[in-house]
Amino acid sequence: MARIRRAGRLGTLGVDVGSVLNLVGALLKYLGATFLFPTAVALGYGEPSWPYLAAGAITAATGLLLERGTHGKERVGVREGFLVVALTWLVVPAFGALPYLFADEPQLAGPVNAYFEAMSGFTATGATVLTDIEALDRSLAMWRQFTQWLGGMGIVVLAVAILPRLRVGGRQLFQAELAGPTEVERLSATIRETARRLWILYVGLTAVAIAVLAVIGWTGLDSAMNLYEASAHAFSTLSIGGFSTQEESLAAFGVATQWAVLVFIVVAGVNFLRLYLLLVQGKGRAVANDDEFRLYLAFLVAGGALLLGELLAGGLADGEEAIRQAAFQSVSIMTTTGFVTTDYTTWSPLAELTLLLLMFLGASAGSTGGSIKVVRHLLMFRIIRRELEQTVHREAVVPVRLNRTVVEDRALRGVVTFIVLYIGLFAFGALGLVIDAKQAALDLTSFEALGAAAACLGNVGPAFGFAGPFGSYADFSDSSTGLLTVLMWLGRVEIIPVAVLLTRTYWRA
Amino acid sequence: MDIIVVGAGQVGMTIVEALHDEHDVTVVDLDAARLQALSYRYDVRTVAGNGATRRVLQEAGVGEADLMIACTSRDEINLVAAMLAKKLSGGQTIVRTSNPEYIEAWQERQIDVDFMVSSELETAHAVSRTIGVPAAKQTDVFAEGQVQILEFDVPAEDGRESVTGVPLTEAAERAARRSPGGRFAEVVGRPLREARIPPESKVASIIRGERAIVPRGDQAIMPGDRVVVIGSPTAAKEWSRIMARGERPVDDIVVFGAGQTGLAIARVLLTEGIRVRVVEPNPERAREVAEDLSEARVYCATGIDTDFLERERIGQARAAVFAMREDAKNLYAATLARVHGIGFTIAIVHEPVSVEVFERAGIDVAVNPRSVTAEEIVRFAHDPRIRQLAMLEGDRFEILDITVREESKLVRTPFKDLPITGSLIGAIVRDGTAIFPHGDDVLVPGDRAIIFTESRRVPEVEKAL
Repeated sequence: MARIRRAGRLGTLGVDVGSVLNLVGALLKYLGATFLFPTAVALGYGEPSWPYLAAGAITAATGLLLERGTHGKERVGVREGFLVVALTWLVVPAFGALPYLFADEPQLAGPVNAYFEAMSGFTATGATVLTDIEALDRSLAMWRQFTQWLGGMGIVVLAVAILPRLRVGGRQLFQAELAGPTEVERLSATIRETARRLWILYVGLTAVAIAVLAVIGWTGLDSAMNLYEASAHAFSTLSIGGFSTQEESLAAFGVATQWAVLVFIVVAGVNFLRLYLLLVQGKGRAVANDDEFRLYLAFLVAGGALLLGELLAGGLADGEEAIRQAAFQSVSIMTTTGFVTTDYTTWSPLAELTLLLLMFLGASAGSTGGSIKVVRHLLMFRIIRRELEQTVHREAVVPVRLNRTVVEDRALRGVVTFIVLYIGLFAFGALGLVIDAKQAALDLTSFEALGAAAACLGNVGPAFGFAGPFGSYADFSDSSTGLLTVLMWLGRVEIIPVAVLLTRTYWRA
Repeated sequence: MDIIVVGAGQVGMTIVEALHDEHDVTVVDLDAARLQALSYRYDVRTVAGNGATRRVLQEAGVGEADLMIACTSRDEINLVAAMLAKKLSGGQTIVRTSNPEYIEAWQERQIDVDFMVSSELETAHAVSRTIGVPAAKQTDVFAEGQVQILEFDVPAEDGRESVTGVPLTEAAERAARRSPGGRFAEVVGRPLREARIPPESKVASIIRGERAIVPRGDQAIMPGDRVVVIGSPTAAKEWSRIMARGERPVDDIVVFGAGQTGLAIARVLLTEGIRVRVVEPNPERAREVAEDLSEARVYCATGIDTDFLERERIGQARAAVFAMREDAKNLYAATLARVHGIGFTIAIVHEPVSVEVFERAGIDVAVNPRSVTAEEIVRFAHDPRIRQLAMLEGDRFEILDITVREESKLVRTPFKDLPITGSLIGAIVRDGTAIFPHGDDVLVPGDRAIIFTESRRVPEVEKAL
């Protein structure tokens, strides 16, 4: 009896789980190849390379088995798209954590910590449980940086660009991952070609960043910079990640490096679709007239100015240093990068609060940054303005526009839903941390809890207190670390793909 | 003239009435009974059948026709009829349409028709004139809208241009009376070199009666003329204000009903720089219109909701236009609006009989789209001056958009030293920005020059640049 009923229920399942697993399997199969990069680095530096080879083999084999064991389909449906995205971002870091475990690195011993570190890598967050980064093998440190670069532009977008079978069905995936409030614009007739161009641009910009940083090293402008550091930091800059090979992050490097990295962060925070139009097709107007781009710049300038004022008023720094420190910290935190050039927790409560609030802005939609993102703030502002207008003029019909085109009500509701969910997750996340800290007898202030929740959900990285810029998340208990890992995951997939999985209608036929 | 009229509805009927005395008119319509009634009243030949077919048009004698007027209520029928007439005869064609996009395509010479009339646009212009703003007829736009070419009817000395056939009450007369003097007198009636022409604009041509006058410094714009102006969008608005003869521009007009006609009216008023509020009961349509007209305030409400009228202070508007589909609703809403304090009401009528009813009820102006359209068509058929301008780009004048070559002998010559001929450089586009040249400006190779010239001088101009 039970068996029949179960079969009946499976029959009415509305989601083709088999094809989802099949696609995730294919993805893992290819992910196995990326482990060759740290292998090469390990060989170059004479470090053991077997952890990467083993991790790569396991990843590829699992992927192959998963792919063989299920049936794939060419077309990915709307529903399946959500599950693919949610699952990919959950599974990929799990395999990405294998080298941490295999390398026998004492700081990343437990599976919880290793998974946290890998999740922080792939989601381009930049939060770390390491307390002594410089103690890592060179190859392991590079793998850490490399995971950020892989995750920055999006694994699923990469899959759409290269997986042969997603030639036609990649649209849903692309839309689900490169989530913004409005329909993704296309750079060419096919989504596949669009995804490919985005990745080419991403690779190109990374190459430029490596070159610039390496030149700074070679010309002697910054003695701490070399090709290894240039690559490592270019990876975590263009991906708006924030991992560093140095315990002191960018403070370990010279002024020239800091300014160069700052410029690349600002570039990486622009919508890549717009960036492509500007850099490759030379359409400057498409960017200059973009509502989101203008507000993005305005936010950057305002955030920097605010912090600069606080620094100068508090007598904490002056001259070029004040400008650089204010600009770097505000840009890095607002775009959700997470690099630092100083320990901002020593500044002032006002500066700390400013930075906490900046964590909620984020970069542009379609960039490699996280958090709420500028365009949602823009639309939210216009929604509120319309609401107020209609309070006075009850019958008025007021369309909300973005770049002169009308944004559909559905998309607007999506923006409100996202922001409410985001704030809700932030609040409950912080609450969970505080409760758990009490259980674990950890000295955690409520501000630090709020900071950690915001920094993980927004894929920023450093928070406040012991989890501050030069600190580590290592002090959190395993359950707190797990909670923060989930927040990073939710933040990267932009909540909705996971939230729909929790509804009953999603699974029903 | 041999004239064929396709379509014997209200528009066709009015045209026939105006033309049958002087011309040989043949009327084509599907409805034989309607044709019979028509032939009893007027001395016209009738052909029953589909005017968009070759057989019927030939039966109507299209081969000998000088003019074919396609004025059924269906755009595509009219267009097909005009296409056929073009091929089958050497005559001219007039098409009635309700789609502004067809007008645009026609203006860009992508539809081969001599004259195109849109009921909606003509109605909108009529409303705009009634309110006191003589609407410019925009004939062309260059350089992404930075350069506009407009034509204006300069108001005659004794006052207003009448909306023929529409009764006007005293209130309308009062509203239409304009204060003399002001900017109008500084532009009209004095030599151009002394006239205060709005900056960023140039008078390209003055058409007086049968003649087109080259606007030299000693020429003057006179009341009753038609002028062609090249200028920036700002200058275009200023010209509109000047042509309104110093009257304070009317602001805040409420349009009830956002159908095709209501939308066209709102759009024309907005381009004249007037604040417009639109009231439309259908939510779907209200949304569409709100998305279309970003500058207008759109309400989803009915005109007979007194709470709404009260809350939105509709009574404070300077004027209201009633463009709903049913005459009775227009009358009802207009009466209510008057109760709420609107001083000037304009209603669109669909049934000829309503004109009288509206007048009795105290509505200030009634505009009948069909008779306005018919009038425009008849004017084209009658008045060669209009025909000239309608074919601005065709027979007599051309607007050229030429990129200046390096070898041109005019390069680097100040504008004031350029030889005076029948042509005029209205604007130049340099690096994507429009410049309206003055005497000391010079042409630079690579400039796009927008030139207004007589057709016979085109080769000359092309050679010079």
